[in-house]
Amino acid sequence: MLKSTLLKAVATTALTFSTWASAQAVDLQFYFPVAVGGGAAEVIQGMTDEYMANHPDVKIDAVYSGSYQDTVAKVITASRGGNAPQLSVVLSADMYTLIDEDLVVPFDDYLTTDEEKAWLAGFYPSFMENSQTGGKTYGIPFQRSTPVLYWNKEAFKAAGLDPEVAPASWDELVEFGKKLTKKDANGNVTQWGVRIPSSGFPYWTFQGFAISNGVTLANAEGNKTSFDDPKVVEALQYFVDLSAKHGVMAPGIIEWGATPKAFFEGESAIILTTTGNLTNIKTNAPFDFGVAMLPEKEQRGAPTGGGNFYLFKGASDEQLDAAVDFVQWITAPAQSAKWTMATGYVAPRAETWETEAMKTYAAEFPQVLVARDQLEFAKAELSTYQNQRVTGFFNDALAAAITGQKTPEEALKEAQTQADAVLAEYR
Amino acid sequence: MMRGSLTYDRVLNTLAAWALAILWILPLAYAVWTAIHPAAYEARFVLTAPLTFENFQRAWAAAPFARYFLNTTLLVSLILACQFFLCTLAAYAFARFEFPGRGLLFTLVLLQLLVMPDILIVENYQTMRLLDLVDTIPAIALPYVASGFGIFLLRQTFLTVPRELDEAARVEGSSALGILWRVYIPLAKPTYLAYGLVSVSHHWNNFLWPLIVTNSEETRPVTVGLSVFSAIDSGIDWSVINAATLMTSGPLLIAFLLFQRQFVQSFMRAGIK
Repeated sequence: MLKSTLLKAVATTALTFSTWASAQAVDLQFYFPVAVGGGAAEVIQGMTDEYMANHPDVKIDAVYSGSYQDTVAKVITASRGGNAPQLSVVLSADMYTLIDEDLVVPFDDYLTTDEEKAWLAGFYPSFMENSQTGGKTYGIPFQRSTPVLYWNKEAFKAAGLDPEVAPASWDELVEFGKKLTKKDANGNVTQWGVRIPSSGFPYWTFQGFAISNGVTLANAEGNKTSFDDPKVVEALQYFVDLSAKHGVMAPGIIEWGATPKAFFEGESAIILTTTGNLTNIKTNAPFDFGVAMLPEKEQRGAPTGGGNFYLFKGASDEQLDAAVDFVQWITAPAQSAKWTMATGYVAPRAETWETEAMKTYAAEFPQVLVARDQLEFAKAELSTYQNQRVTGFFNDALAAAITGQKTPEEALKEAQTQADAVLAEYR
Repeated sequence: MMRGSLTYDRVLNTLAAWALAILWILPLAYAVWTAIHPAAYEARFVLTAPLTFENFQRAWAAAPFARYFLNTTLLVSLILACQFFLCTLAAYAFARFEFPGRGLLFTLVLLQLLVMPDILIVENYQTMRLLDLVDTIPAIALPYVASGFGIFLLRQTFLTVPRELDEAARVEGSSALGILWRVYIPLAKPTYLAYGLVSVSHHWNNFLWPLIVTNSEETRPVTVGLSVFSAIDSGIDWSVINAATLMTSGPLLIAFLLFQRQFVQSFMRAGIK
């Protein structure tokens, strides 16, 4: 007994030494933001540990870096301070900002073999729109999402609607919304038909309507916006009319963070929010719910959203090679499936959806497939150079129209003029 | 007549004080309510709602809070000790010594009050990197130890100390530092207490700089632990957030309640309101 313990100890020591010997260790630092609850940070830490267990020559320090906004602040500060991480997850919409600040290197230089180049083609093209510019790939999709409709099947039944059918078009959304909006004897609304959040980053929820009306908000070079396009105006008019004219949505700015709760408590029968919420809603909704693509006008459409992996300047080639290898590993089917099931983010590669784990999960919970299927119609999230400022103008315009301070046309014209003034130097 | 208007005045004052107090306590009361009830009762205020301790357990499990508390305690103690030391010496010099450039230097110190610390984040980061202190508790503390506010406040207090006391101590053979220690510091006690409270509560709550300059569990303060709950993609779970908030602000609240009388008095004496 003692002997075997001793032997084991010797063996372990020997093993440690041999690991040490092979350890021309590459050190990597990797920042990651967390935007969903439910222990997402532990999942990332766990996957990183698993990678290190299989790759004893690589040491990865995974650093939780707050929200997306905190992460971008941290990564820019650290880079300017000469201490950039080698790898970070940052919003895909921040690509032009990071390029403009000259902080990132494209992945292409580290994907040399044909096999590695083919790997890039395995990502959904709509996720790559925010990840590539000027023929280079700066971002690799990781925690990516897209907005979808969630509907309360019980409320549909109570309103005399087919609980298995979601509104498919703009007109149906209004029509269903009217049936679902309930008032008490005093005329106070007890249940709204539709809830589309408009606080914080209204451009994202609104963008689904612009795209389904057949218009994109910014070009692929990130230096021109089309905020005052008549189709954008039409989409905003529709958005405003949901409460102003049709009375199916609460008036004023609607809080993003309180939206899932409003759904659970029956305050709204249909909500629009990110797929990043799917696991949360699945766990907490006390009723049967369905998930559907955003309603169409000229076409189906939705923006993508969420975070990409970026490589940072200041690292050695050896480090970046290791970082790229880690990114390839963590986006591979087994890991990606685990991540999607834990959070609700859309697995960014088609092959992940072919794994047994995902197939079993999707068979039990078909709602998870909607976001993936919607990707076919999805476009890039609004992203330009000077992204914070430009989307800021657009958000202000949306808020002004939603609160009735300006007409949609006035507000959007103004935002376009402001955006032009900022973006002119990038053309 | 006179008496009547006085009571009228008093009633108004009391009413206003109560109104303000209730307004102020409401968020705290709401936090307590949501923290001790299941999530279903977040917006339903039924007295018979079941009590639960689960929110605190979930909050405590979501981040290594024990370690974070230790870090925050170390951090605020370090900052406070350094601030007291540096600000006392600087304030004494500005208050009682004549030296060339005194006016200019004091203006520079006051200018520091006008600069938002957030603007200096990149500069500060570079300095910490130069000192090889990134990801340590001193790195969080250093940018704040030479506090312009502290120097200004203590200087004003020292100026109110009668010269006669200073001179009497000098006649007794006390050195300059001896006078500081025996005359000035004891007389400025209320100011130290008041400033200490402001400093501790500010650094207890500080978030962005600690998040940026630290990377590991061993150095991060409670506010960074608290931030894991602001998960915007999946909506806000008020019960757990409020449980975590109560937990992290609890030590400060308890300390304030214990020393309330001293704090209020020292604020009155120190003239910070």
